[in-house]
Amino acid sequence: MQPLAEPVSRLIDAFAQLPGIGPKTASRLAYFLLRSDESIALNLAKALEELKANTLFCSICFNIADRDPCPVCDDAQRNHALICVVEEPLDVQAIERTGEYAGVYHVLHGAISPVEGVGPDELKIAELLQRIQAGGSAAPPDVDPAHAADWTLLHPSIQEILLATNPNLEGEATAMYISRLVKPLGIRVTRLARGLPMGGDLEYADEVTLGRALTGRSEM
Amino acid sequence: MTFLTHLSLTHFRNYAHLDLDFTHRLTLLQGDNAQGKTNLLEAVYLLATSKPVHAQTEREVVDWQAQEEPIPYCRVAAQVRAGEGERPLELEVIFTPRSDGLNFTKQVKVNGVGKRSMDLIGLLRAVLFLPEDIRLVDGGPGERRRYLDIALCQIDPAYCRSLSEYQKVLAQRNSLLKALREQGVQAASPAVDAQLDFWDEKLVQHGAIALAKRQNFVAELDVLARQRHADLSGGRETLYVEYLPSFNYGPLDEGEYRRWRAGNRLGEDGMSGDAGLAAFTVTPEAVAQRFTRRLGERRRRELAAGATLYGPHRDDLRLLANGRDLRAYGSRGQQRSAALALKLAEVQAMTASTGSAPLLLLDDVMSELDANRRSTLLAALEGVEQAILTTTDWDDFTPEFRAAAQCLHVRAGEVFPASEAAQADGASHGGESPRG
Ligand SMILES: [Zn+2]
Repeated sequence: MQPLAEPVSRLIDAFAQLPGIGPKTASRLAYFLLRSDESIALNLAKALEELKANTLFCSICFNIADRDPCPVCDDAQRNHALICVVEEPLDVQAIERTGEYAGVYHVLHGAISPVEGVGPDELKIAELLQRIQAGGSAAPPDVDPAHAADWTLLHPSIQEILLATNPNLEGEATAMYISRLVKPLGIRVTRLARGLPMGGDLEYADEVTLGRALTGRSEM
Repeated sequence: MTFLTHLSLTHFRNYAHLDLDFTHRLTLLQGDNAQGKTNLLEAVYLLATSKPVHAQTEREVVDWQAQEEPIPYCRVAAQVRAGEGERPLELEVIFTPRSDGLNFTKQVKVNGVGKRSMDLIGLLRAVLFLPEDIRLVDGGPGERRRYLDIALCQIDPAYCRSLSEYQKVLAQRNSLLKALREQGVQAASPAVDAQLDFWDEKLVQHGAIALAKRQNFVAELDVLARQRHADLSGGRETLYVEYLPSFNYGPLDEGEYRRWRAGNRLGEDGMSGDAGLAAFTVTPEAVAQRFTRRLGERRRRELAAGATLYGPHRDDLRLLANGRDLRAYGSRGQQRSAALALKLAEVQAMTASTGSAPLLLLDDVMSELDANRRSTLLAALEGVEQAILTTTDWDDFTPEFRAAAQCLHVRAGEVFPASEAAQADGASHGGESPRG
């Protein structure tokens, strides 16, 4: 059998590294691109290149954004004293779609799962605590005095942490852990209301259910 | 009542394709060894429990021939008549290969709709009798926990849910304890508690339900198995079935509990109470309280072990005949009788709590039993709505029994109706060990 041309096998190997894609699907994708119009492959290449080059993590909320701070953290219209804690950037999208939430976010990038080797240190939990402790402090000297009012709006003392981790075992473990750290600081800690299917993923909850869970959140 | 009316297999073990109707209350499958009799019973059992018999990997259930199909897969499906005039149930388990080519994806469907494995259990209840059932008595604790779990899951969906949650929590908690040990953590501290407390709480929540249900089920089994065992032993021996938990949640004080665990009999050796006390019932709330306390007291020990040391995953059953532990001291005959008594008790308990008898699957068990045990087992068959039996030798069953049954012959993964002539033929040279 004739070996595959090197560029083809390289692409197949690259696809096969993606989650949910086995060797068969990888070959099918590669041959599709090989046979289809050149613009499709070039568009994909450009999108991939820009994905890494033009995105970054917001240094405040750790969401994926095209600038730092992200548009949410930089929006003086939002309530910066209310932080919604989620597992993944996709969860931010899900909550934004409901139109029921006017606070800001904190993305943990996962949930506590000892089986997968994910403990509190692997998540952005220490960063959340720092953010809470820094809230309400005076504007640093490098802030333009003309914008000091805006700065204060964007950095008020934190009133409430809304824990919106997934309603499954790992999400509950994460919520419980954070709540134990935050509550002693005298800050209100709430959890998304029940009604989300247990064992589910926030990302897949429909907007009405998720919206109701947001407005009907309960004290932890 | 439930009645299995049709079984359909595709690439299941040595069956390439099979479609089989069950027409009688009793079905008798005859064939030489390794022709597919056991595989057929295992297929039915898979639909009842959603798990393969024993702890085989699911890969083993798929027929190697299926590998040559364009899309290899394995399907076990059945039609079940449930109750009078109710819509028939279609049960289906399908295995398809994952992209890695090594593992399989298991899909469960009820009436064509995808379900969780858990939702399949209990729709077709079955009890399987195997020649190696003696392992229930002489095997390790895992065999006995498996016996309890499969029986209880078929009876009680809430048990099945608690057990499934418990196992998820246990895996997480064990990983955390192991990680803490690797970090050199030896004692509890606020930081350690902050990580462990959640898993403790969930372990107790689901574990206490599973424990209480097991304890109460064993109290029921104890009575039933003692009656069946009296039949088998001609009243010469008294069988006790005791649940051995990994911590004390019962009525005994700590000192007596420890001596009871060590094998001292209650009511003897200066101990209070009577032997029947071991078969008490409990509430999940009472178990939860003691479970929580135990985890708190033994934090250091669990950190040192890097594993969860208490809970239903560490428990066992103890079988005693005339006060002696049958696992260690029973003769083969005593062990066989106790195992059979346990299985018959399971059938009775299942019938009592669900209102209908389970489907009995008997895999070549007659040949292992003496006349007394045979007649006890055959008497149990009278009370059930459906039984499927296998044998190598038609002569293991009387002509009257055969006349009342649907008789089938199994050869090389195919099933044929057995005519009287074939039965006579089979009797003359069909069996591995002719007996007369
Ligand atoms: Zn941000």
